Amino acid sequence: MTSLPDRHDRRAEPVPRPAIAWRVSMPRITSAAQFLPYILFCGAILAVPSFVSDPFLLNKFARYLALGLAAAALALSWGYCGILNLGQGVGFGLGAYAMAMHLKLKTSPVHTGSAGLPDFMVWNNLDHLPWFWQPFHSGLFALAAAVLLPALVAALLGWFMFRARIAGVYVAIITLAMLAVTNLVFVDQQAYTGGLNGITDLAWFEMGGVEFDPYSPAFYYLSAGSLAFFLMLGMVFTRSKAGLVLRAIRGGTDRVLFFGYDMASYQCLAFSLSAGMSGVAGMLYAMVLEFASPTFMGVPLSLSMVIWAAVGGRGSLLGATVGAILVNGTQGSLSEAFLNSWQLILGALFILVVVFLPNGLAGLVHNLGARLSGRLRGMAADRAPSALLNRR
Amino acid sequence: MAYLELQGLEVSFDGFKAVNGLDLSIERGELRCLLGANGAGKSTTLDLICGRTQPTGGRILLDGRDITQDPEYRRSRLGVGRKFQVPSVFKELSIRENLEIARSRHPEPWRTLCVFPSRRPSPRVAEVVEIVGLEDALDTQAAHLSHGQTQWLEIAMLLVQDSALILMDEPTAGMTVQETGKTSAIFQRLRGRHTLIVVEHDMGFVREVAETITVLHQGRRLSEGPIQAIENDPKVREAYLGSGGISHA
Ligand SMILES: Nc1ncnc2c1ncn2[C@@H]1O[C@H](COP(=O)(O)OP(=O)(O)O)[C@@H](O)[C@H]1O
Ligand SMILES: [Mg+2]
Repeated sequence: MTSLPDRHDRRAEPVPRPAIAWRVSMPRITSAAQFLPYILFCGAILAVPSFVSDPFLLNKFARYLALGLAAAALALSWGYCGILNLGQGVGFGLGAYAMAMHLKLKTSPVHTGSAGLPDFMVWNNLDHLPWFWQPFHSGLFALAAAVLLPALVAALLGWFMFRARIAGVYVAIITLAMLAVTNLVFVDQQAYTGGLNGITDLAWFEMGGVEFDPYSPAFYYLSAGSLAFFLMLGMVFTRSKAGLVLRAIRGGTDRVLFFGYDMASYQCLAFSLSAGMSGVAGMLYAMVLEFASPTFMGVPLSLSMVIWAAVGGRGSLLGATVGAILVNGTQGSLSEAFLNSWQLILGALFILVVVFLPNGLAGLVHNLGARLSGRLRGMAADRAPSALLNRR
Repeated sequence: MAYLELQGLEVSFDGFKAVNGLDLSIERGELRCLLGANGAGKSTTLDLICGRTQPTGGRILLDGRDITQDPEYRRSRLGVGRKFQVPSVFKELSIRENLEIARSRHPEPWRTLCVFPSRRPSPRVAEVVEIVGLEDALDTQAAHLSHGQTQWLEIAMLLVQDSALILMDEPTAGMTVQETGKTSAIFQRLRGRHTLIVVEHDMGFVREVAETITVLHQGRRLSEGPIQAIENDPKVREAYLGSGGISHA
């Protein structure tokens, strides 16, 4: 046999001979079983008003659900697609402001000038409604804007980032910068955005003859329904082949390009879907608090979302949602005195989770479930031979 | 005009010309072997064809169409498939999922959004995993595969992808003699239906599959022809003298 002396590459790599015994991965849970926790969760949150009638409690729960949706949105881009968006607040804030603009225009002009101008515009000496405020008279437009505006902004930013093959920590830095800039613009443009105060004293949202009083079961159902819808949508998205391609991209290789997948457009898709979801979350949040504020686009809130998702498990939409609800529920039940040290506790929690539970609570549940089913199977295996013995 | 034409192709890495004025034409259905010492520019040539590396000069024509400026994914859609020297699969995904990604006739997001991969492999996938012997391991995560198995998985992915032009960078590296024989049988079956460019060191393998061989040296074409002509070419012998020459065993 003739061989060219060019075998260095091959010798350099020690070649492990295949062990015939495959290391078999966990048997795949069927997709129905994967949907089950989602269905149970959605059923549970939709059932809450049957047991809770306290309006303040319902309002509080609705707020947690909105934040849960924001965390799920982050998990979709971070956990499933490896895009760590530290500026989740951009979409969240845009959604909140879109809805707040509509609800502000619906308030009866008590403090306002003849044109029914929002109060802060009067204080800032505007004499007519700016053109971009006009379409927000329509509730449908506001709803659409709350979803599409964040998605569009994300698609644009994503297009520049992902075309240039920017990834990893640089995405985190750019999105954080984007958040800071958006926040500054909203604080600065006082006459149009209400500046530091934001847009306050909002009316209730009304659609199809239903008035969504934020302390009513109707509003709670709106929040829970939105969360359920987007969890299911996200679940279906991640189960699709597009979701599979995104998981392949998450591994950090550009190999998909050589199968014809345009990596950048897939990343843009996930990034803007996630932003659209956070837009809805922000919209609900503005409705439940009855104001929109630039703190919605503040760095602390966006970083908190990262913590919620990490605690719950960024690799699971449901995990991240539950993480957000648990962390906020705990925070909400703490006394005033304790609240000061809360940031410290949250930081410590984050570090603990990152070190000990990289897949968050969802990962913990998954592992326990696997161990349990493994033990059950082991018990079944133990029993089988003994049954045989007994028969003999 | 040939199916694939490289015209005066050139790439320089910080002034070092890894490929230096390379001309190559390959007919449709041909199986071409690329030989050359380490660092001759074989992998870089494949990188240039599939778009991983942008040339600093020259043109690439595929089926008469200038693809020099096209990004990787568009070239792939035009029928260029690539197997990498260091086997490159999706380690986090199972074999089944890897093959699903490789099945990429409709790679646009708006189409994949509407596809929900089923557990049952398509007939083509079932056939291919049988050929490469991975049929019992479909749910194994690719990270758990040995080097040789990873090699087979990537070959399986290329078979599923079914590109018109297949670029193979050292497909038999790390394979046993039997496995190498199997690979050469696979290549015999691909011949004619696909156009193949294969970088290979195993001369036994090359002798079995190749019609025409192109020898690269320092980024240029040193010699081209059937195997006997190559082995007897004094230029090739000379080029290999520094590292021991073509040894007959
Ligand atoms: N990205 C790169 N940057 C700098 N030098 C490179 C790069 N890729 C390849 N080279 C150099 O180009 C030469 C050709 O490499 P390659 O095409 O991999 O050779 P081979 O024929 O062994 O496949 C080598 O000297 C290598 O060091
Ligand atoms: Mg090489």
